[in-house]
Amino acid sequence: MLFSSIPFLYYFLPVVLILYFAVPSKLKNLVLLLSSLFFYGWGEPRYVIIMGIAIVAGYVFGRLIEAFRGKGLSKVFFILSLLSSVAMLGYFKYVDFFITNLNAVTGLSIPLLKIALPIGISFYTFQLLSYLVDVYRGTVPAQKNIINFGAYIAMFPQLIAGPIVRYSDIAAQLEQRTHSFEKCAYGINRFMIGLSKKILLANLLGELCDIFRASPDKSVLFFWLYAISFTLHIYFDFSGYSDMAIGLGKIFGFDFIENFNYPYISKSITEFWRRWHMSLGSWFRDYVYIPLGGNRVSKPRWFFNILVVWMLTGFWHGASWNFILWGLLYAAFLVIEKLFLGKYLDKASFLRHIYVMLIVMFGFVLFNATDVKEAVTYLGAMFGAGSYPLISGEFVYYLRSFGFILLLSVIGSTPLPKMVVTKLHASEKPVVSGIMSVAELLFPLVLLLLVTSYLVDGSFNPFLYFRF
Amino acid sequence: MKENAKNKIIVFLMGGILLILSLVCWFKPAKEYSDSERRALAKFPELSKETILSGRFMKDFETYTLDQFPMRDTFRGVKSFSTLYLFREKEINDLFIKDGYVIKAEYPLSQPMIDNAAKKFTSIYEKYLQGTDTNIFLSIVPDKNYFAGTNSGRLSMDYSKLASSLTEQLPQFQYLDLFDSLKLEDYYYTDTHWKQENLLSAAGILASGMGVPISTEYETKEVTEDFYGVYYGQLALPLKPDKIKYLTNSILESCVVTNYDTGMPVVTPMYDLSKATSKDPYELFLCGNSALVTIENPNALTSKELIVFRDSFGSSMVPLLATGYSKVTLVDIRYINSGMLGGFIKFKDQDVLFLYSTLVLNSSTSFK
Repeated sequence: MLFSSIPFLYYFLPVVLILYFAVPSKLKNLVLLLSSLFFYGWGEPRYVIIMGIAIVAGYVFGRLIEAFRGKGLSKVFFILSLLSSVAMLGYFKYVDFFITNLNAVTGLSIPLLKIALPIGISFYTFQLLSYLVDVYRGTVPAQKNIINFGAYIAMFPQLIAGPIVRYSDIAAQLEQRTHSFEKCAYGINRFMIGLSKKILLANLLGELCDIFRASPDKSVLFFWLYAISFTLHIYFDFSGYSDMAIGLGKIFGFDFIENFNYPYISKSITEFWRRWHMSLGSWFRDYVYIPLGGNRVSKPRWFFNILVVWMLTGFWHGASWNFILWGLLYAAFLVIEKLFLGKYLDKASFLRHIYVMLIVMFGFVLFNATDVKEAVTYLGAMFGAGSYPLISGEFVYYLRSFGFILLLSVIGSTPLPKMVVTKLHASEKPVVSGIMSVAELLFPLVLLLLVTSYLVDGSFNPFLYFRF
Repeated sequence: MKENAKNKIIVFLMGGILLILSLVCWFKPAKEYSDSERRALAKFPELSKETILSGRFMKDFETYTLDQFPMRDTFRGVKSFSTLYLFREKEINDLFIKDGYVIKAEYPLSQPMIDNAAKKFTSIYEKYLQGTDTNIFLSIVPDKNYFAGTNSGRLSMDYSKLASSLTEQLPQFQYLDLFDSLKLEDYYYTDTHWKQENLLSAAGILASGMGVPISTEYETKEVTEDFYGVYYGQLALPLKPDKIKYLTNSILESCVVTNYDTGMPVVTPMYDLSKATSKDPYELFLCGNSALVTIENPNALTSKELIVFRDSFGSSMVPLLATGYSKVTLVDIRYINSGMLGGFIKFKDQDVLFLYSTLVLNSSTSFK
């Protein structure tokens, strides 16, 4: 089920909210677990079993690791738990990738399994892994209550597109959390902002990307327009989903970690990855990069660690070479920045933004390509390869048609709107504060009605990050 | 306002709206048909183990919730308004408004579709017309985007390429060019079609091209009911409706129109005013979309006969041509297999006109 759908907004969510707030505290996690399984099963009825296995396995392994702490068996159970989790992810997500490459290298023709990818498996597997590692390390106690544990793994607000919430961050909230009008109102506003980012910006930008792909009238500038549109599209799509997840979490009394912090204002690639998909970045930092030695090793080893982490980051996004290359592209620029570019970037105030956005944009063209060949074609076409004209009628038309949305999106990807609202909010002029008070009350309602109108009449609504 | 009070208002306001709309969604009786969209609405899907496990129930349920959403047309209107005027997009659902006319951005030209149409017309020629004394004509009706899209910065198909491609592939057909005889004002504001009362010039071009005199004097009558065309519902904005007018005279009033849709001949009016209140009022012209219709004209200006292969644009044009012919046969090969025509029509020395709109030619998969 999609957050941005009528069945979720007007059928599922109201029922869950009523049930959740109607039952006593001790039953709230049960409501969350059951509704999350229903939510998950709505899109993938068969894969509820996979989810159930993941929950039971994670729960049992966690208890066993803790029960045998200090003994060899604890390590055995820990390794078994990691292997089983990674094997499940590997089977569903990567097996065909490995078969394809094995066939290509050896000349064999092993048939592909063509297994449908369970939605959100990368997200909940990583949550499970963080739990198992933390229990093994002894940083968190194993969860004794399988309902609470199941609610953590399957929790529908962040189940299928993150943020990757670590068990250690919400362990206490699973046992005891508070609900308030303040949290609820914040959650509603945050959810509506996320939903609007998805429906009113990301989807429209996505339409422009689809128009470009289907266009018989491509040109060099149209390739650039596509690259810009997709870069904005993926930001609003993914950060919109994170906003919705964080907002819903707040309504249910949870404080999920932030996942985005205006990544497109970054002044370096290093900074970009501190602002983009922060929960994934910190996951790899804490569970891969630092265990490998981080930067407290020799320089070659340090760069090797970076390479491994970013190759895995790319691979996490999808079982395809273009994702791996996308990760390696960032590894390369991170190393270059650490070697020498970083000090120059500090001196080039505006150029560094352009540098970051160009790398990010080229990266996303690679990221969104169906394969490496298409990525090379698209990137080449942006620089005049492929005999495309510089400009075409469709480029001019769609630039004009989507110009305002692109402008809104560019502004919306910066902290500017938030700064303006904060300034107006702080105004001591009675007229301004009065208008702001009314606007704040009506803001989520207007957004709800507007996104509903787009949903009722819309068919273009895929979430990009579901495929991960 | 204090933060706490503000938070409470947001929670109760949003919760209340969500609850009300949700309750209406859950308990509102399902509608069967959307008049504005001219289509059947989705029904509650079949609930079974098989439909659930296959995911079909969920997919169909989503369609059902969209179709049955309370105040669906109002919400669709809000979307159209915000798309065109808030987000400043040039079109919505391929539609845009220019000078009050709702226009479909028909684009791009589909060469395979044009080739398909040419192939179909050629097969009809080879099967029925080759070796006969028939005179064969081809004419193309431009859609509204020809007038609003070309040279205006909007996307529009290459109309001259469409015409040249067809005429080059159909050398046996004499081409009668209507493009310069029409203008945007000759079409309805809210509908695809042209207005009959504005077609005298175009009808004159067709008639003189085919060498027959036709009436030029008509009485213009107006249908009382407002006409909300097909684009009205698609755009879902509160636009001013059109008025349907039709032309008649003593010659047309003496004509006998026969419809063969049911397999049996049924005499029908030239202008069926009962259709004015139907789902598609444009169907009042010659029964609307019918596979086979004949017009017999006892007071014709000539003894010649005409066979028109046509789409819905022909329904309002052909009555004007009928004044010059003793018999006109209208064939719509979207509704009858062209291979079966020999059983209904004897092709010998008639004038044969292929009259098709660019909309149908550019999407010719419906030809049978």
